Amino acid sequence: MATSTQVPLTISRETVEGISKRRDEPEWLRQTRLDAVAALDEVDLPDVIETPGRRWTNLEDLDYETLVDPDTQADQTERVGPEGVVVTDFETALDDHPEIVEEHFGSITDPETNYLTALSTALFTTGTFVYVPEGVDAEDVTIRAEMNSRSLFSQTLVVAEESSSVTILERIENGGAQSAPEVDGERYFSNLVEVAAGENAYVQYGSLQVLDEDVYNFSLKRGETETYATIDWIEGNIGSRLTRADIETELEGDAAETQIVGAFFGHEDQHFDINARVWHHGEHTTADLVTRGVLDDEARSVYEGVQDVGRDAWDTNSYQRENTLMLSDDSEADASPKLIIHNHDTEASHSATVGQVDQEDLLYMTSRSIDPEQARNMLVEGFFVPVLEEVAVDELREDLQAEITARLD
Amino acid sequence: MSSEQDELQSTDTEARFDFKKEEKSAFESEKGLDEETIRLISEDKDEPEWMLERRLRALKQFQAMPMPNDWPEAPDLSEVDVDEIVPYIRPDIEARGGADNWEDLPEEIQDTFDKLGIPEAEKNALSGVGAQYESEIVYQNMQERWEDKGVVFCDMDKAVQEHEEILKEYFMTQAVPPSDNKFAALHGAVWSGGSFVYVPEDTTVEMPVQAYFRMNSEGMGQFEHTLIVAEENSEVHYIEGCSAPKYSAFNLHCGGVEVFVKENAHVQYSTVQNWSKNTYNLNTKRAIVEEEGRMEWISGSMGSKATMLYPSSMLKGRGASDNHITIAFAGEGQDIDTGAKVYHNAPETKSTIESKSISKDGGRTNYRGLVHIADGAEGSSTAVECDALMFDNESTSDTMPYMEINESSVDVAHEATVGKIGDEDVFYLQSRGLDDDDAKQMIVSGFIEPITEELPIEYAVELNRLVELEMEGSLG
Repeated sequence: MATSTQVPLTISRETVEGISKRRDEPEWLRQTRLDAVAALDEVDLPDVIETPGRRWTNLEDLDYETLVDPDTQADQTERVGPEGVVVTDFETALDDHPEIVEEHFGSITDPETNYLTALSTALFTTGTFVYVPEGVDAEDVTIRAEMNSRSLFSQTLVVAEESSSVTILERIENGGAQSAPEVDGERYFSNLVEVAAGENAYVQYGSLQVLDEDVYNFSLKRGETETYATIDWIEGNIGSRLTRADIETELEGDAAETQIVGAFFGHEDQHFDINARVWHHGEHTTADLVTRGVLDDEARSVYEGVQDVGRDAWDTNSYQRENTLMLSDDSEADASPKLIIHNHDTEASHSATVGQVDQEDLLYMTSRSIDPEQARNMLVEGFFVPVLEEVAVDELREDLQAEITARLD
Repeated sequence: MSSEQDELQSTDTEARFDFKKEEKSAFESEKGLDEETIRLISEDKDEPEWMLERRLRALKQFQAMPMPNDWPEAPDLSEVDVDEIVPYIRPDIEARGGADNWEDLPEEIQDTFDKLGIPEAEKNALSGVGAQYESEIVYQNMQERWEDKGVVFCDMDKAVQEHEEILKEYFMTQAVPPSDNKFAALHGAVWSGGSFVYVPEDTTVEMPVQAYFRMNSEGMGQFEHTLIVAEENSEVHYIEGCSAPKYSAFNLHCGGVEVFVKENAHVQYSTVQNWSKNTYNLNTKRAIVEEEGRMEWISGSMGSKATMLYPSSMLKGRGASDNHITIAFAGEGQDIDTGAKVYHNAPETKSTIESKSISKDGGRTNYRGLVHIADGAEGSSTAVECDALMFDNESTSDTMPYMEINESSVDVAHEATVGKIGDEDVFYLQSRGLDDDDAKQMIVSGFIEPITEELPIEYAVELNRLVELEMEGSLG
């Protein structure tokens, strides 16, 4: 909030025109990009929490001038989709499904939401388009994205039509030295995801971020539900130097539901700023927010959870839990779970805890001749169980678990 | 930032609000409040030079600081017009605040006094209309008993003259420096009246010390300053204000409270605030708690148009503890934004915060709280519990806790619930012969009981009566 509209870096119209031209984009998208670049002068960096004498995340301190190199973007993205579902890169989507893309692109997340979304819209060169036609009950879609450049901007759009269902599993990582021999040191990855869930549709979007630990990562995932629709998010953050991740659902239609499940495990000097937000607009809507995180070494976490119940959101159920486990004395955890309730016909609760490994549990295990370090690791793995249990997709759960185990070794 | 600004900020405590944004504030044209006015106030009170200097310094800070309007969902303060302040604080201007006659008070205020069953003389005194009333005698008696023990209880103006050394040390230097926030700065410039309480070592003051008795002596009491120093092993319970509504034509109440809890001392500070519903109630209250000391803040916020109040405790010594109990009740047109702030700056410190809020007829309540656990405060624990009850769909209930944890060996828990009044509960009570209103009233009484039972009986009775009146919607 205190950051003024000073532009961290200069992006010229020509740069943006160049990207659009090389990709042979339609006029509307070219214009959207140009509007976004023009907006850079007017919009602020994302809001971060400020309390007396303290700013929880310093996005303004990033050296965008060095980090952002729009013309060298490179990625290697594998997309696997089942029968009956469209899963393509953005350029193909613009050729094959121009109307659907035009209708939904930027409709869930306004490109001018903040400086980083505008930057992303202006510069994106990769991303995925997923389209699930009416009534299709799809198998899993997997997206494996490798970042191979100084900076990479990705834009993903998921459109699930009436009574369809789909699970999307996304893994974000860096290419090895072979794919990007020239690129190391500080890098910037930006990932915008929009999900439009039609009437009675079900979308599950699971994301596992295991970027190199000198990558600055900005991600905003946002969905809108129509009547009876459900969007479930799973957000796993293991990698990156600094992550600012916002996971948001607008429960527009009546009886819509959402779940946001989050897990993070920070070590060394990693910084995670995780924000889970739900807006209840329709009647009879339900939200469940569950996040668990572990911090070791000098890692730092910031968590904001918002449950916003609108004036007309009769019969709302909304729950939120956040738990942080601190393994090191040098780690820091900030948390702010917020309730904003405008309708009294609501059952809402939230809770948050911060603590360390229970000494009695540890004593019990060591007294059973388990090595102290192993005992601690077992307790950490146990700490994540309530979150892992919420992950319905075996593959994602196993991957997440493997990352947690790897970090403990 | 200019060097002057740097210098102004130099008295900051860790708890200073860090407003960076330069805002066009409602106070931009501050032609009304100037140095001359401050000098006049100080001269009229025959204050020593150092106090005048502190006032002038605070004025500069007030003028330099932005309004706190970049807070998320903060109450709207745009109607606060500080220009109006001058006639109420300048000693050379005849027209003071309040009404001259009982009949001039707004009808709903007169009505509330009647309904609370407060006697005529007291009514006049409490409402700021009359002069002294008979409790002065009671006060005198208590005074003598305390004096034997070395307890000081006097008004702040007198304290400036008679206890200069203590005041020099404590007055707006450590707990609430004017640089804390814009309204603390305003308070530092124009403060008037209030109480000074000094409790010597190993002394227990059995009776609650009530500011109540003295309210009238300093006119409006809108900028009153309370300073409590509780020396080692002492104990005191201080009660501020009263549940009767206070009316003033000038709509800003901007008090300051500083409490020093020394080693192993125990201070309880209770407030039931019922400002009339045209008032902006913007107070800064802070305690500094030394080793094994204990601070308890008990607050009921019933009145005012908008309240922004976050009593805070700096737990500075090992084993210091804090307990907050807060009730907020917002009816039509009210925005009660209140909560707690606790800094755990030493090992084994402990805090518990219990907040209950009720919103009704379009009112808004918000729990806004901050718990900070500093690096090195190992073995500290904090538990925050917020419950909110909503009556209808026009009302709003927000909960905004902030937790900053820089130490791993801690136990931090926050819990909040929001719900409507249970239809089943109402139905049950109705089936036992209560009508709808009585049933709801009973549920509310039960909801706030954990708090009322912490209050001295006469206060609890008044608070309950007040809630009943609010529930009937019969108060203005």
